[in-house]
Amino acid sequence: MDFETTLTRLRGRIDPVLRCGGGLLWAFPLAGCSGVQSALDPAGGDAWDLYWLTIVMTVGATLIFVFVTALLLYAVFAPPERRAWLGTRRTIVYGGLAFPIVTLSLLLPYGLIVMRDVDAPQPGALQIEVIGEQYWWRVRYPAEGEQAEFSTANELVIPIGRPITVSVTAADVIHSFWIPNFGGKIDMIPGRINRFNFTAERPGIYRGICAEFCGAQHARMAFDVMALEPAEFDAWRRTQAQPAPEPAIPFLARGRDLFRSGGCGSCHVVRGTEANGQLGPDLTHVGSRRTIGAGQFPNNVGTLAGWIANVQQIKPGAKMPSYGSLTGEDLRAIAGYLESLK
Amino acid sequence: MTGRRTAQVLLALGGMFAWAVQFALIYGATSTLCGRGWADATLLAIGVVPFAILSTTLVTLVAAAILLIVSFREERRWRDQPSSTADAFLSQTGVLINGLSLIAILWNGVPAFILPACA
Repeated sequence: MDFETTLTRLRGRIDPVLRCGGGLLWAFPLAGCSGVQSALDPAGGDAWDLYWLTIVMTVGATLIFVFVTALLLYAVFAPPERRAWLGTRRTIVYGGLAFPIVTLSLLLPYGLIVMRDVDAPQPGALQIEVIGEQYWWRVRYPAEGEQAEFSTANELVIPIGRPITVSVTAADVIHSFWIPNFGGKIDMIPGRINRFNFTAERPGIYRGICAEFCGAQHARMAFDVMALEPAEFDAWRRTQAQPAPEPAIPFLARGRDLFRSGGCGSCHVVRGTEANGQLGPDLTHVGSRRTIGAGQFPNNVGTLAGWIANVQQIKPGAKMPSYGSLTGEDLRAIAGYLESLK
Repeated sequence: MTGRRTAQVLLALGGMFAWAVQFALIYGATSTLCGRGWADATLLAIGVVPFAILSTTLVTLVAAAILLIVSFREERRWRDQPSSTADAFLSQTGVLINGLSLIAILWNGVPAFILPACA
């Protein structure tokens, strides 16, 4: 078999693989372009500024890289008389000095202007406080006008069109607060308050994450972000400020009693009851949240029961112990009671 | 190394020294002034932090410009004397390094015009 035949056969085998692989190569990055947790799907003005900075830098860097690589190949493979111009003083001065100086002189102020304009505090911003804890988020909405203050956990509900200022800190170790669709990340440092400013422009559900390794369950420390129309947000805020509703049926009342007798209230708050613990998340309206376990599971009776019985298997290292000794009936009652706290 | 050669090397590297001095001074001054809570203090009607950055930048910029002019003269002097390779090389290096240092000093000073102090 001669060389040409071998090469042709080899190409015949490699080409389909390359076509398929090439498709996958495009599919993977494009799949990450949109969604609830993507910096490539901006949902606010600051996020758009960062997005365009990224695009300009990436596309520009790619074009320059391809151009320089082409020149390099030309310098290696072109006949000496044709590539001679590459080594002239003019080429070096214009291509090697003037071009990078002009490019960087344009990019530097552009980057600085983006840095100045994003994350700028705005008057009349809605104030929200978020405290990072291993491995969940304590979220507090301070009183504003006639609106009473309240706390929630693992969810950030915001109105669209209104500036938001999130003041962040941490209770134990350094965490980092990041909602990719709304802009840059900000460190949460114990003993220090940092602020993150943004405005949501598009209603929807987004996902925030901890962006600084904070312990064994760092990867399971996420939160939901709900950007609502202003009227919807006001209604949500009024509901959240209310105490927990009374159980509607005896089965749920049994759940509440088990919650009380099991000592859950020494770690959790349920406003309107004697449960006033401060170690764990506020559960006053836990039933209204989309997810449980800091963004780990959809919120329903089944996942709540699984969480209560098996938390140390699901999220080892979390401060809550597993209550695996509860009977199925008791577990269902407690989970039902929590799910009813809308 | 002879005294002339030492002077040539120092001339060729002078711009980088100016850049290093500017870098150290503006970072040091900004950290110290911001750390002491002087973000809003003013001097000659401008903020004390921008003042420190701009004055340092101006002084080092002038130094780098003078070095660049001297380097140009040296380069012109040795350009037509092919027998002295080392002199020609050092003078060309001086033009390049002092020119790039001048631009780097300018770039270092740009944030003072765009970013708020101590933000």
